[in-house]
Amino acid sequence: MRRFFNPLVRFYTPLFYLLLHSSCSRVDHKQSALDPKGLVSQNQYDIFMLSVWITIFLFCAVGGCLLYVLWRYRAKTKEEAMEIPPQSHGNSKTEVSLILASAVILVILAIPTLQGVVLMNRVPDANDEATLKKLNLDRSQIEGAVTVNVTGKRFFWIFEYPQYGIVTANELVFPASKAIRINLRTEDVIHSFWLPKLAGKMDLMPGQENFLWFIADQEKIRSGKSSEEAMPSVFDGKMRQVVFAKQKFTDEFEPVGGLFYGQCAEYCGNSHAYMSFRALAQTDADFDAWVKRFQNSQNPNMQPTTYNPEMEYEKDTIITFADDSLGENSVREYRSTKKIAKGEAPNLSAKSWEKAHSDNYEIGKQLFSSLQCVQCHAVNRTGIGAKGPNLTLFGLRTSLAAGWMRNDEESLADWLKNSNEVKFGNLMWNGEGVDDNHPLRQLEDDDVKVNQLVEYLLEQI
Amino acid sequence: MATESIDYVSPETKTKIEDQILLRPGQHASGIIDWLTTIDHKKIGLMYGLAALFFLIVGGAQALLIRSQLWDHNMEVLTNRQYNQMFTMHGTTMVFLVIMPLSAAFFNFIMPLQIGARDVAFPRMNTLSLWCFMGGGIILNLSWFFTGGSPAIGWFGYAPLTDTRFAEVVGDMGPDFWIFSLQVLGIASLLASFNFITTIINMRAPGMTMMRLPVFTWMTLIVSFLLILALPAIAIALAELMFDRNYGTNFFDFLEGGKPHLWQHLFWIFGHPEVYILILPAMGIVSEVIPVFSRKPLFGYGLIVFSGAIIGFMGFAVWSHHMFTTGMGIVATSAFSILTMLIAIPTGVKIFNWIGTMWEGRIRFDTPMLFALGFITMFMIGGFTGIMHSSVPIDAQHQDTYFVVAHFHYVLIGGALFGLYSGFYYWLPKMSGRLLNDKLGKLVFSMMFIGFNLTFFPMHYLGMIGQPRRTHSYNEGHGFETWNQIATIGAFILGVGVLIGIYQFVSAFFNKKLKPAGKNPWDARTLEWTLSSPVKEYNFARTPIIKGKDQAWENKYGEREMHSEKEPLDDHGVHMPDRSWSPLITAVGIFVLALGLLFSRTVNELGELDRSYNMAIAGGGVFILGVIMWALEGPGGYHLFPKEEEE
Repeated sequence: MRRFFNPLVRFYTPLFYLLLHSSCSRVDHKQSALDPKGLVSQNQYDIFMLSVWITIFLFCAVGGCLLYVLWRYRAKTKEEAMEIPPQSHGNSKTEVSLILASAVILVILAIPTLQGVVLMNRVPDANDEATLKKLNLDRSQIEGAVTVNVTGKRFFWIFEYPQYGIVTANELVFPASKAIRINLRTEDVIHSFWLPKLAGKMDLMPGQENFLWFIADQEKIRSGKSSEEAMPSVFDGKMRQVVFAKQKFTDEFEPVGGLFYGQCAEYCGNSHAYMSFRALAQTDADFDAWVKRFQNSQNPNMQPTTYNPEMEYEKDTIITFADDSLGENSVREYRSTKKIAKGEAPNLSAKSWEKAHSDNYEIGKQLFSSLQCVQCHAVNRTGIGAKGPNLTLFGLRTSLAAGWMRNDEESLADWLKNSNEVKFGNLMWNGEGVDDNHPLRQLEDDDVKVNQLVEYLLEQI
Repeated sequence: MATESIDYVSPETKTKIEDQILLRPGQHASGIIDWLTTIDHKKIGLMYGLAALFFLIVGGAQALLIRSQLWDHNMEVLTNRQYNQMFTMHGTTMVFLVIMPLSAAFFNFIMPLQIGARDVAFPRMNTLSLWCFMGGGIILNLSWFFTGGSPAIGWFGYAPLTDTRFAEVVGDMGPDFWIFSLQVLGIASLLASFNFITTIINMRAPGMTMMRLPVFTWMTLIVSFLLILALPAIAIALAELMFDRNYGTNFFDFLEGGKPHLWQHLFWIFGHPEVYILILPAMGIVSEVIPVFSRKPLFGYGLIVFSGAIIGFMGFAVWSHHMFTTGMGIVATSAFSILTMLIAIPTGVKIFNWIGTMWEGRIRFDTPMLFALGFITMFMIGGFTGIMHSSVPIDAQHQDTYFVVAHFHYVLIGGALFGLYSGFYYWLPKMSGRLLNDKLGKLVFSMMFIGFNLTFFPMHYLGMIGQPRRTHSYNEGHGFETWNQIATIGAFILGVGVLIGIYQFVSAFFNKKLKPAGKNPWDARTLEWTLSSPVKEYNFARTPIIKGKDQAWENKYGEREMHSEKEPLDDHGVHMPDRSWSPLITAVGIFVLALGLLFSRTVNELGELDRSYNMAIAGGGVFILGVIMWALEGPGGYHLFPKEEEE
């Protein structure tokens, strides 16, 4: 058997790799399923490769027979073409043995398939030591599992972390060391959550909660680099800097190991192609810091309050106070530079308070309300909208418009001016209640306002 | 089929005109009236084929637009809505208006000849089926001209995207056209299927036992059963969807407690057998072609027939493998996974048997054989990727990517279309009486084979590196560009090949320079090759008495006692029925009824909903009129007495 099999492998392996690595290209593209970086996706990849080998073997065996028959029994001359070969009708022994052989080959594929089904659908029990050992997992990785409720909407993603009480959109930040349990829901049509390098895919079915889980393989993400280099921290903006500095948007291969690309895989309407997302792997400490920062931003008790002369303020407290230079009845945010005694109202000349943000930021913030952005978007606790993506800590994100473009000043300005041109059919431009009179549609020629909005949004860090 | 050229011993028309409500055009009807009122299975087959080839050009043009849009990242050949309409129409057209009617064309034309029948069991019903098919095709393509344009819901029309709540154009009528078109096409397929089953079971010539039937006829029978069992599922689903869209029911509207899952189950209980409905006829054709060009009988005839039946039967037990990623749970996905793998066994059996047929044969590489060999190899690749998808963990990555697009095009072009092209090159001499140019045929095959592989093989790779299907555009930086460009180039080569083929098929009927085919140009084996080419309108002058499986071969090379005999002459001649207007009128009634229901919902100037059923009632009236005429028009008919040498 080995004597038969070895030359076969030696002969077909280079052929196969030529096929797979076509035009000398690679398979670790940004969204490639051939470059698994997690336990579940690795299992899917392994079964796939098993099936590839089985079918290549079958194709060569059956195709080889076919070629042999065609060559051996071709009619070489006109006379031969008129000969009458023996009119045999079949051979039941051959037929039955071929049927049995194909059944055996299917069993080879069926066993890992059934094991894979269980693995995909169930997070291993933390008490089941045998399974954990087999999967090379640690008990703490399962016990510390992070749950993310994913909601698909046309055409973006909402990521809610129920354990931490925070909501973000389009960029899933997760700890690389822990199992991630993903609950999938949709508020409109069917979508499909596809994260090729980590998890495969699962549909978001209306009226039903689907489930998917993954656990990243830190070794593979690091691939020889340090954790800081492979998984730059999100909470302090390093991830964004590294991604922008290290990589052109057009690069096919991702130099940052911790950045993963995903996409909606079920047709969901006009802009289906634009419904992508990203997943950012973090070390435990960086993830905790990110969560903390997010919790503070979205915590109702930690929002800046209106200045109260009856109160004393600690250093670095942010309060809001009237500032007519920004317009009538406007307020701006001030930060205390030292401990503030009762009644010491914000007064820039006294240096006890300073402007927390630039004027552009403050005007941008006003525009965010006056242009009705708040109807659909929420930033921290500002805004009532859940129709559009939550924009809390927007300035930490690497991407814009559901993963479609890089989140920098230029792209954001383009997006705000005419999002329909960037991403035709998006619901910010085309949704319910948005018509030509909507203030959003007046931004096209208004560079000043756009820049103020850009400054406001990108300073959400 | 020029009846005029036949010199009959006693040509006569014995129609009792006073018995008839509406004149049934008789023996000497000609021109457009002949084609509109014909009930001859051969003419119906030709019209089916011609219409399907026309739709093949339409669907192909849509495919080329799709491929042009994907040439590079962020292309703007089409807007995203137009692109979504294109892939919806491309899929629907290719499945319902190309592959199914092309198969129906061969069923109609060839099957009665293979079993020694003069026509199908219900010739007028056959005509009605044809005109319903035409009506359905027209309804689907009318959608371009009304609110919202053609549907943008995918050929699978997954709820709740089809719900009016999620329409992206106000008052979008596209899905309504899609619903009614498929319903009418369903009527066409059902009528044809009942007809074929009755014909095969009841109208076989004496001695043509079931186990002597040519394999193509067997596949006709199996496919007909699949259709009558599968179509009710989608008819129900479509009716429910129609009620959801127009009358406020909540079958699929999840916000009111409906279940989008239900649509997928109903659709795929139809949709998976549909896959076998598309591929089994091609398998039947290939099972005819390979023995002929190897000069050997089919290896393991019984097993091939039986495995065809098994594939058809099991086709009803695997529908949920289209839904592995919808969250059905461990038990259901595992069960459907294993059942799907099992289908590989009867499919493999067929491939083994085709190779077994060629073993020790004398293989000739004429165009039909090339297409048949193309079928085997390409279908093998499509089958292998199918085995991959049957494994749930693999499918979790492949589902809805270009890998799947590659898979089903390998099955439906490399499989079904290559098989049907093989059938055209094989049987057109019988249909038209002329031999096709073999060199041009080989050029068509090479272009199609090369173009097809260039287009679809790279898609496996594209799917694996992350390109999802049904996306009108892709972003820079995913590495999709190069292989999409190769695929687009391939698609145009394939398109030109298909087009030359169509030219060749149509010109076979008009190009007088082509050589006459004679009775049996291929030295073929089955009964239809004992007839003259083109086949006379009465098929068999005297019903043959069958002695073996491959009667044409036996007559030429077999023992004396295996030669077919003929039923004794009588003074009755061949009874031919008159042509009839009523199928056409009935079909027009169904067509108007469908359009009437489609347009029953209008919004008046005040923005209020108006319902008007005038047109639907009128259509219903025409339909009833047609049926009444049908019942009362009387048998009519005439008798032909062909000369002995005319047979």
